Amino acid sequence: MTELAEVDPLVTETADRLFTQVCDHEAVQTAEAVGTAPEIWSAFAETGFPWISIDETCGGSGGTLLDALEVLRLVGYHAAPIPAAETGILGGWLLADAGHEIPEGPVTVLPNGATDVKGSLSGQEVTLTGTCIRVPWARMAERIAVLLEIDGQNMVASVDPNDCVIHTMTNMAGEPRDTVCFDNVKAPASSASEANPETFRFRGALSRSALMAGAIEKMSQLTVTYTNDRVQFGRPVARFQAVQQHLVWGAQEAALARMAAETAAREANRGLASFEIAAAKLITNQAAARATKACHQAHGAMGMTQEYPLHHYSRRLWAWRKEYGGDAEWSRWLGKAAVAQGAEGLYPLITGGSSVLS
Amino acid sequence: MRFTPTELTNKELELQQQVREFLQEELPSGSHEPCLGMAARKDKAFSLKMAERGWVGMALPKEWGGSDRTAVDRFIVVEEMLRWGAPVGHHWVADRQTGNVILKFGTEEQRERFLPEICRGELGFSIGMSEPDSGSDLASVSTKAERTTDGWIVNGTKIWTSGAHENDWFVCLLRTSPMEDGNKHAGLSQILIDLKSPGLEISPIPFLDGSHHFNEVTFNEVFVPDINVVGDVGMGWHQNTTEMAYERGGPDRWLSPFSTVEQLLREAKGTDLEQTISDLFGELVARWWGIRNLSLSVARLIDTGEAPSIESSLVKEMGTRYEQEVVEKLVHLIDLEYSPDSDSLFERLLAQCVVTFPGNTIRGGTIEILRSVASKGLKGLPA
Repeated sequence: MTELAEVDPLVTETADRLFTQVCDHEAVQTAEAVGTAPEIWSAFAETGFPWISIDETCGGSGGTLLDALEVLRLVGYHAAPIPAAETGILGGWLLADAGHEIPEGPVTVLPNGATDVKGSLSGQEVTLTGTCIRVPWARMAERIAVLLEIDGQNMVASVDPNDCVIHTMTNMAGEPRDTVCFDNVKAPASSASEANPETFRFRGALSRSALMAGAIEKMSQLTVTYTNDRVQFGRPVARFQAVQQHLVWGAQEAALARMAAETAAREANRGLASFEIAAAKLITNQAAARATKACHQAHGAMGMTQEYPLHHYSRRLWAWRKEYGGDAEWSRWLGKAAVAQGAEGLYPLITGGSSVLS
Repeated sequence: MRFTPTELTNKELELQQQVREFLQEELPSGSHEPCLGMAARKDKAFSLKMAERGWVGMALPKEWGGSDRTAVDRFIVVEEMLRWGAPVGHHWVADRQTGNVILKFGTEEQRERFLPEICRGELGFSIGMSEPDSGSDLASVSTKAERTTDGWIVNGTKIWTSGAHENDWFVCLLRTSPMEDGNKHAGLSQILIDLKSPGLEISPIPFLDGSHHFNEVTFNEVFVPDINVVGDVGMGWHQNTTEMAYERGGPDRWLSPFSTVEQLLREAKGTDLEQTISDLFGELVARWWGIRNLSLSVARLIDTGEAPSIESSLVKEMGTRYEQEVVEKLVHLIDLEYSPDSDSLFERLLAQCVVTFPGNTIRGGTIEILRSVASKGLKGLPA
């Protein structure tokens, strides 16, 4: 087996510095009110980060999937209101996989696949009809990468959103999740190479676990700071055993989520990682539930206000928990894999992961 | 605080394979009555066999009979033993902590006297911390050791002493000078006491299911020679705190219900139950995978010379709660009236888990104490 790659520390440092500058509490709040954050997007795009892991020959920035996921972790950590996953490892990946040109602006994808869209092919052009809901940032996208199966062949169409009707909608965090109507929309399409509904689903889950790991960590850190600053009964509330419980639970879930997301990222960067991705999404989903509960409780009423930033993270986590597979979907997938191993194979699966399944 | 992902090297995977083959040969899967984690049966013959392979005291130096192996190597051996439900009770305490303490703080003479025997799997140790009036507030211990010409006279009582009725030696935290105002951590020492010493009395404190693990050990003018003091007189608290770091965050804190879960899958095979448990097994393997990765990264950190006490407290607190959660999920999902005398091994194990696992979040430091240790360490984090 090849050695696991490491994250380029320069990526971490640069992305963290960038988001610290442009994504403060107010900027994130404004983005929610306005519906998009063009200046944050421009600052992000200028660094080339959106296209990490997309081949330079296809118009990407090169670099590893691991680095791309590290950027996503920091997007989650700073609640950056931009279509980073959609433009890069999801939409950018789909377009590049089918040999389409990577546009200069943001890209989005249909998160639930093209199940609600019908396509017919004529030469190199596809005609699409149907309606898709919860499409991230469709309102600001330059292209929608549509993965669909036509006559048993996985195809990727590169759709101009100006040809569609877009209804602006949001998720629980106020992030754009638009409804896109395709009414005989024509777009260039070509055959996919690696991309299919399954690989796309796993990539989506991988992107969300990285985002979620970042958001949980930030939430846990906010909670430690807040409870050490907040004085009641003459001392910081962090000194009370009942509050310490919440601090510890938040920190544990942050550690567990990050470990799971990073391990899945490393394995995906190396090759087959279906077990690790499934486990990471399930773990981050459940960690989101436990950590939001603990961190909100430790913050008291302050955490329930818009003026304090906790909600940027907790609301995103509640939304992301259901994107690209909730708890039930991934428990089911993992459960089938576990039961198929049988009693003797159960522990080797926990220690060996995907290498045992392949 | 940082848990860095790590993976086993090819050499470490070879060790894992060797341990699996050893266990398959000694205790063929499906044919032995598994133990539930570290509260395992004492089986000296088994401990001797493990020691022959170099798997007891393996992280101790070769000079003292050890194998100079890493914390990760020890993690691999312990992990495989526990998930198999192997009877590791005899050498458990010596292997996990006492060997380390003697190596780190003991005299040359003590190392020579105890370490080779520990590594041969011969010696069983008990730990003397709690007393009738000192539990979580451990620094308040009052069992006294008073100086005589060539040693110490010990008086007092230790409780919850696992295995004192079967073990050879007792590592005790004793008060060697009176409690000072404002500094209760001073004046404590760690002393090795022969469990066969005259004046030392051992009486059972039956466990809630009637089994015998716990004891009360009373000292009535027990003489202990000077050479049995571990480290410096008065440094017991510091040594004890260091020792606790060895016993936290390892596989013994999250693997206790594994053989029960594995046995369920074995018995469910081909029945309707297999479908019922499938989704739950998905959840269990995911969380076990995650916690294992955290725990493994703590072992890796120890090998770089760090003392990850916050990290290991976090893992222990989470791991032991998880052990209880697993049992609760099994009880919730499976409609069986399980009992300790059932024909089904799974039901017997589950009954044992239900009755004994409340202790998992208490032993070796309650989770409340762990939270207080860990949350103080979280304070320095950036935000």
